[in-house]
Amino acid sequence: MLIAVLSGFIVACIVPLIFKLNRKVAGALLSILPLSLFIFYLQFLPNVLAGEKILTTFYWIPSLKINLNFMIDGLNLLFALIISGIGFVVYLYASAYLAKSEKIVPFYIYISIFMASMLGVVTCNNTLALFVFWELTSISSFLLIGFNHEQERSRYAALQSLLVTAGGGLALLASVIIIGQIAGTYEISQMSAFHSNLINNALYPSILILFLIGTFTKSAQFPFHFWLPNAMEAPTPVSAYLHSATMVKAGVFLMIKFLPILGGTELWMWLLGGFGGWTMLMASTMALKQTDLKRLLAYSTVSVLGTLTMLIGLGGEKAISAMIIYLFAHSLYKGALFLTAGIIDHETGTRDIRNISGLRKYLPITALIGVLAALSGMGIIPFIGFIGKEMLYETALLSGQYSTLFITISVISAVNIFAVMAYSGILPFFGEYKSPSEHVHEAPFQMTSGPVAFALLGLVSGLFAGSTVDGLTNKALQSIFPSASHHLALFHGFNLPLLLSALTIVVGLIFVLNRKSLVEFIEKIRIPEYFFPSKWYDYIFNGTLSFAEIQTKFLQNGHLRYYIFTILALFILLVGGSFFGFNTSGSILNAFAISIERSIAGIDIYDISMLITVLIASVFALLSQGRLSAIASMGIVGALISLIYIIYGAPDLAMTQLSIETLSVILFVLVLYKLPRFFTYSKLKTRIRDLVIALAFGSIFTMIIIFVSAYGKFDTGLSEYFAQTSYLIGHGKNIVNVILVDFRGFDTMGEITVLSIAAVGVYSLLRLRKQGGEQ
Amino acid sequence: MANEIIKELSLGFPIFFISAMGILLVIFDAITGKNKIINYIFAIAILSITICSAGWILFSQYYNEANNLVIHPISMGMLAYNGYAYIFDVIFGIAALLTIIAAREYNERAEFEYKEFYSLVVLATSGMMMIAHSADLLLMFIGIEFMSITFYVLAGYFRKRVTSVEAALKYFLLGAFASGFLLYGIALIYGATGTLTFQTISQKITAQDYNNLYLILGITLVFIGLSFKIAAFPFHQWAPDVYHGAPTVISGFLSTAGKAAAIFALILIGKNIMFVAIRTLDSNHIITLQNILAVLSAATMLVGNITAIAQNNVKRMLAYSSVAHAGYMLMGIVANTPDGWAGASFYAAVYVFMQIGSFAIVANLEDKDGEYLDFSHYSGLYKTRPFIAAMMVVFLLSLAGIPPFAGFFGKYYIFKTAIDAGYLWLTIVGIVSSLISVYFYLRLLIYIYFREATEQILDTSEPRAAGFTLLISAALTVLLGIFPSYLIELLLYLR
Repeated sequence: MLIAVLSGFIVACIVPLIFKLNRKVAGALLSILPLSLFIFYLQFLPNVLAGEKILTTFYWIPSLKINLNFMIDGLNLLFALIISGIGFVVYLYASAYLAKSEKIVPFYIYISIFMASMLGVVTCNNTLALFVFWELTSISSFLLIGFNHEQERSRYAALQSLLVTAGGGLALLASVIIIGQIAGTYEISQMSAFHSNLINNALYPSILILFLIGTFTKSAQFPFHFWLPNAMEAPTPVSAYLHSATMVKAGVFLMIKFLPILGGTELWMWLLGGFGGWTMLMASTMALKQTDLKRLLAYSTVSVLGTLTMLIGLGGEKAISAMIIYLFAHSLYKGALFLTAGIIDHETGTRDIRNISGLRKYLPITALIGVLAALSGMGIIPFIGFIGKEMLYETALLSGQYSTLFITISVISAVNIFAVMAYSGILPFFGEYKSPSEHVHEAPFQMTSGPVAFALLGLVSGLFAGSTVDGLTNKALQSIFPSASHHLALFHGFNLPLLLSALTIVVGLIFVLNRKSLVEFIEKIRIPEYFFPSKWYDYIFNGTLSFAEIQTKFLQNGHLRYYIFTILALFILLVGGSFFGFNTSGSILNAFAISIERSIAGIDIYDISMLITVLIASVFALLSQGRLSAIASMGIVGALISLIYIIYGAPDLAMTQLSIETLSVILFVLVLYKLPRFFTYSKLKTRIRDLVIALAFGSIFTMIIIFVSAYGKFDTGLSEYFAQTSYLIGHGKNIVNVILVDFRGFDTMGEITVLSIAAVGVYSLLRLRKQGGEQ
Repeated sequence: MANEIIKELSLGFPIFFISAMGILLVIFDAITGKNKIINYIFAIAILSITICSAGWILFSQYYNEANNLVIHPISMGMLAYNGYAYIFDVIFGIAALLTIIAAREYNERAEFEYKEFYSLVVLATSGMMMIAHSADLLLMFIGIEFMSITFYVLAGYFRKRVTSVEAALKYFLLGAFASGFLLYGIALIYGATGTLTFQTISQKITAQDYNNLYLILGITLVFIGLSFKIAAFPFHQWAPDVYHGAPTVISGFLSTAGKAAAIFALILIGKNIMFVAIRTLDSNHIITLQNILAVLSAATMLVGNITAIAQNNVKRMLAYSSVAHAGYMLMGIVANTPDGWAGASFYAAVYVFMQIGSFAIVANLEDKDGEYLDFSHYSGLYKTRPFIAAMMVVFLLSLAGIPPFAGFFGKYYIFKTAIDAGYLWLTIVGIVSSLISVYFYLRLLIYIYFREATEQILDTSEPRAAGFTLLISAALTVLLGIFPSYLIELLLYLR
């Protein structure tokens, strides 16, 4: 089974080769892949019908619990058959549709990757591996939507769909990880045992919301639905395959799969039922005013996906059984309608339904397909679509205290869909002949055979529902509710659903006949732009871009002083924060007291006068207007500090300090000589800011030092060692000297060496420069 | 004794060898005259031998011998010989090797090839390996400084190019500043525990024989210093300027191997101090610190990725994205668990290969004055330069964290450990910022694949030896994506 899934990836690699060998038959040759996959999955049918589950295991990354485990049960098999079956038709169709296109090779590469990943999504039992396939479908969808990449619109739509679906995928990943943490397993088939652990967990709302962001984005539910109509920029076979029959159903698939795992709660019902119902109603209404054949179908797809989501939200056995039939019916008729739309586009050069009519004269087979598929979509007896719609009504009626609400929106949407189906599948073929192109002729066999099969299958499976689709859909239902079963039949007797169906047809007919005034009416409903989620996407998108630019200018201005400013600010925040985080405000005061107490004991008039002079000198350095005076006053500070060293008995240190001070003042003055005059002074605001930073930085260090000197809790091992041994071992009375020349004599030697090497380097650089100057 | 010396010599062979040979190479530079290719080959040979020996020690599990070593006659216990160190040896070695291979033709094109380039890269690598092998805070600091100082020089390697010199100066000034913090923090940790050896520090902390305030202040300062080295927010501001100004191959090297080395230093601090201290009675301060780190990591990811959106220059975009990746790796440190360190290490390994590869491509496409770096110059690349375009797809998709490339598993592992450690919000921030990053990585792909070429890149030729760099890094990116478990299992086993 692993090989079955991976075969698509392998074939994707050899597509260019096949086209190099023989361009004419390559398309047909490639369609063997989905056909053999279809047959491969079909061989599991007897086992599944016998109630078996087929599991295979392949350890991929066991340490991360990512394993390529596949499972075939009723539901998975149904989806796998739909994917490979429609895949076969689409492969064949595209071989003629894109025959003249240069880009037929990348098309087959992308679509093979897509089919493989889609099969992975529906048969994978490990949620993490499932996520990998899930994201791969988004990527291949991105590539296929951006197929006509010369157009800005295509690129926009491709990127939009990717950001929305891949982003949702990441949310799904987060929820899958949390589910895995709680349940301790990443295998879907084992998760339902942890149902009560999951729904009673405190994290349940976040799990569910993250999960639904993932599935809603993929299945184009409000408020993420906007990417799907835009995705119609893709070539028609792609729209038929990805954006109606398979990929967009991945979200729905996952929601049914997770119904026994996360479902059965109020929150589940309200989120799915609410968003699904609203999507169904809104999208079907928006569909009415579309004029582009593909957008018309896209909106109706969104509406159907809404219906499916709502049914999963309602969640009973009946609802799921209705959902499965509805989904099956939709895959058939929508696939067929998209493919006819492709034929119409291919032959007439337009998809605008206002410009085409009466095409049945030149496209008889296409007209037949269109009509049959549309009838199924409209829910006319005896097509499978009819059964699906009846079951939808039945479920909505039984949905408890809010059944009135659900049945109302279901009927309104069904009426809208009825009209939309007629607009897209029937009207273009009837009435007076009108077409912008003069060379309209029937499409080749490769393009018509598939849709014909779909349309006929829709009829046959409706007529003989009990003996054809009943078995597999029953098993699909049982993979969610093991003890449930349904019996499909065309006719359930005269009941309320049948009455509502009749009502749907009547109102729908009125809609169909009065298209113009209906569109005018819908156009009148003006909703401010900022209510549209597609606008939100644009706002967020553009907002992020402009935020990026603003903050780049702010944070990344290229001036080193601002960089240091931020570093210091964060230092103050972190170190000051962790210092005060110790709740040491009391002990800091205490430390102050201790150190003042200690200092006062030995303080005399020299100390105080020196301290005052240091303070005056540093303030003077701050306020001085010229460089020289500032340097001079800093020199005073340094000299006084060395005096302090002398008073406290460290003459060597004082010597060092004094010589360093003198040297730096001299260097400063030398540099000063070269510098331009000082004209601009910083503004008051800048000065205040600098003052605050300097004060904060300085006081943190002061506090640390006071703290250390007051409590002195540093580890004393080393200082004791030096104090005890420097005279005995080192034979010196000055500990510092002994340390420098004795205990770490090698280091000192190394330092001296480094310094002399540096001096040699500087000397040679200076000489080089001199020579250069002479030249 | 002699036995012990031999044992330690063979255990430490990679680091001893590369350090000795690095110094030898500098001397060699002085006597080889104008012949540069000898130095090039010599540097490659040194690195290959280092990689192979470290790889062999890993493969044969010879590092277990370190446990039998009673005394360390050579290093006096300052060098650690554990499996993790060898993994990083291999990573650093490969990064340096790939850089040197790609650098020669790049430098030739820029008409600025000097021999010291190769010895500097080798010396920087030995600095990194010193970090990987450090059993002592001081040695870690020396390793970091050794690496940084060579980086300052390498960043300003194109000394006739103003941007390169500016990059070096900025890097040096701010880097020196950060080293000050680092050293001060190390001093405080010493003050708190009375030792610099990691093992003794953790023993003292476990025994509650330390000063908590100094320890916390010390860790905070060390984190500030290391955050600068990995370019985490708000110490990231130098990074884009430096990566943009430095020679492109060097940007690739210092934004990958340099970052991985600093991440390893963070892992050392986490493993030996944070992880132990959190189990003592005063854990709440460590937890606060962990939360602060989490905020920094979140801000790093967001700022890096959001700023990268606004870039129109590919090199600068990669520079910002490298800031963001530091944020992802920090998540592993925030988690403060063996899983988190393994995650950060895995991410670092993956990141090294994908980022060096993309910088090598940028280096190949720029002309001799360092121009032709804009997105628009890359349009239609798939037609004019199909090999490079295909390689770029691998690197960009992996950087964006799209399965099944290695970058995805790195991110996944990191996210999982963060959730395990109770940082769900951090993971969500990570997810949002990954989504943002998808935008700008794919934007470049759209330029390469979906737009027609507007102007030709005339000045450059197909990669010669650099093609090898590209192939190796792409292969590693793909292989670590398809078979990540080998490295992950190894990291977990060695924890």
